[in-house]
Amino acid sequence: MASIAAHKFAQCITCHAWSPDQTMVAFCPNNNEVHIYRLVEDKWEKVHVLQKHDQIISGIDWSARSNKIVTVSHDRNSYVWNQEEAEWVPTLVILRLNRAALCVQWSPKENKFAVGSGAKTVCICYYEQENNWWVSKLIRKRHNSSVTSVAWHPNNILLATTSTDGKCRVFSTFIKGVDSRDSGTSLASDMKFGEQIVQLDLCFSWAFGVKWSPSGNTLAYVGHNSMIYFVDDVGPSPSAQDVAFRDLPLRDVLFVSERMVIGVGFDCHPMVFTADERGIWCFSRFLDERKRAPSSSKYGSQFSEAFGKLYGQSKQGVRNDAIDPTKPGGGVHENCITCIVPLRKAGDGTVTRFSTSGLDGKVVIWDLESRADLSL
Amino acid sequence: MANTLRLYSTCIRNTLEAAMCLQNFPCQEVERHNKPEVELKTSPELLLNPVLICRNEAEKCLIETSINSLRISIKVKQADELENILTKKFLRFLSMRAEAFQVLRRKPVQGYDISFLITNYHCEDMQKNKLIDFIVQFMEARILEHKFACSILETLGERVEDAWVFCNQRLDRKSLM
Repeated sequence: MASIAAHKFAQCITCHAWSPDQTMVAFCPNNNEVHIYRLVEDKWEKVHVLQKHDQIISGIDWSARSNKIVTVSHDRNSYVWNQEEAEWVPTLVILRLNRAALCVQWSPKENKFAVGSGAKTVCICYYEQENNWWVSKLIRKRHNSSVTSVAWHPNNILLATTSTDGKCRVFSTFIKGVDSRDSGTSLASDMKFGEQIVQLDLCFSWAFGVKWSPSGNTLAYVGHNSMIYFVDDVGPSPSAQDVAFRDLPLRDVLFVSERMVIGVGFDCHPMVFTADERGIWCFSRFLDERKRAPSSSKYGSQFSEAFGKLYGQSKQGVRNDAIDPTKPGGGVHENCITCIVPLRKAGDGTVTRFSTSGLDGKVVIWDLESRADLSL
Repeated sequence: MANTLRLYSTCIRNTLEAAMCLQNFPCQEVERHNKPEVELKTSPELLLNPVLICRNEAEKCLIETSINSLRISIKVKQADELENILTKKFLRFLSMRAEAFQVLRRKPVQGYDISFLITNYHCEDMQKNKLIDFIVQFMEARILEHKFACSILETLGERVEDAWVFCNQRLDRKSLM
């Protein structure tokens, strides 16, 4: 097994993030709070509860260098949490949104963050020293539906977004006074703020989970039609590949190297996609060995019995059917995986360890080094 | 007959498995709301194409999917007036107790006998395969129970007829005496 640790923290987890030294995990247990747990002598201990939002939290990101947590919620607000001694102190971000915020990510230099929203806009937020608050600039009138995911290019300027209108777009987010002209590539640095560089119309359904490869040369995103898309040469003439797979659609992806992508989603089993020498992507395997028993689901008219089971399960939340023969698979996750986060990076930006969380309330840590067949 | 039922329910089961990929999704139109999109239908891009599965003209199943909710409507076979009344009464009984079933819709979609509404919240606290089992077994049970109830009523009806004939005969005999 490639998973090295799994812990059930809550009934349901919407998203999670790790502290810079990876000893603490912050997650939202499907409500308006963020819980921070620390690993103390092989036991997870709750150390902080961040309460400020009043609706479900949809995104958390913990910056690696500045040790700040940004959270966004369906209540239209975002807070940047700063650790001052033992307490986490929130700062309200003026998002100027009138719909729910759906996703958030710190930029690689951590001087900006991007928020995707249900108002069909993207907010790029940056810190204003003189006023001592976070302000946002909006990219408006580009998306035809909610923005489901955002991803920063390593150059700190380009931002990729996916939306429920099925499109993936790449924008320039150059902000005068925050970014310097020489920082980006030639492509990014002559662009004004909010300028659309490319719009990819490959998917026939909703698009989710966009990510850049460590070098920023390849872009990957998933569609709800059980497809994953890989885009090279993002710019005026991009080249795209699509890979269809037979299982349920994915929700999020992660580049572990330039040639390997892990996808997670409704299938409950992380999938590995690899590129060969020519750069052709294909589905390679499931990360956890799938032991699919022959489906022996009983057909019968005892609907009352089935209902009793369902009802009791839903009321008490007991999951004692570890040996249920009707359960498909036998993987670590028992419900949709919604979030995948890199944990340990090697010097060249490849990821050797990552964690996943899902609607079953578990956070699972996976290690690729412990598998010889998946060596990078 | 049992074979076609198996095919029908397998088809529904497979469609539900693919369709039940729901997620928490706030309303795009109304501030701070989170409503099943399949009921509101305010944003057409958030709806998928509905799937209609028919066993024959009288028995069909409509599965409508959106990003955060799923609606399953079932039409049960009603050959005559008696079956019609039976179905109506039984489903009314169930619908009145809809909250006990959690996923049952209080009113069926027009043209169908019973509807279920499954939202992302149901997927969060129930297991997906159990939920699908429940719907499929409910439907199968309905068909079987329906037949059972009809046969009871038919035999009852025969008895009533017999009794009626018997009474009449006795009355006739009495009047003759």
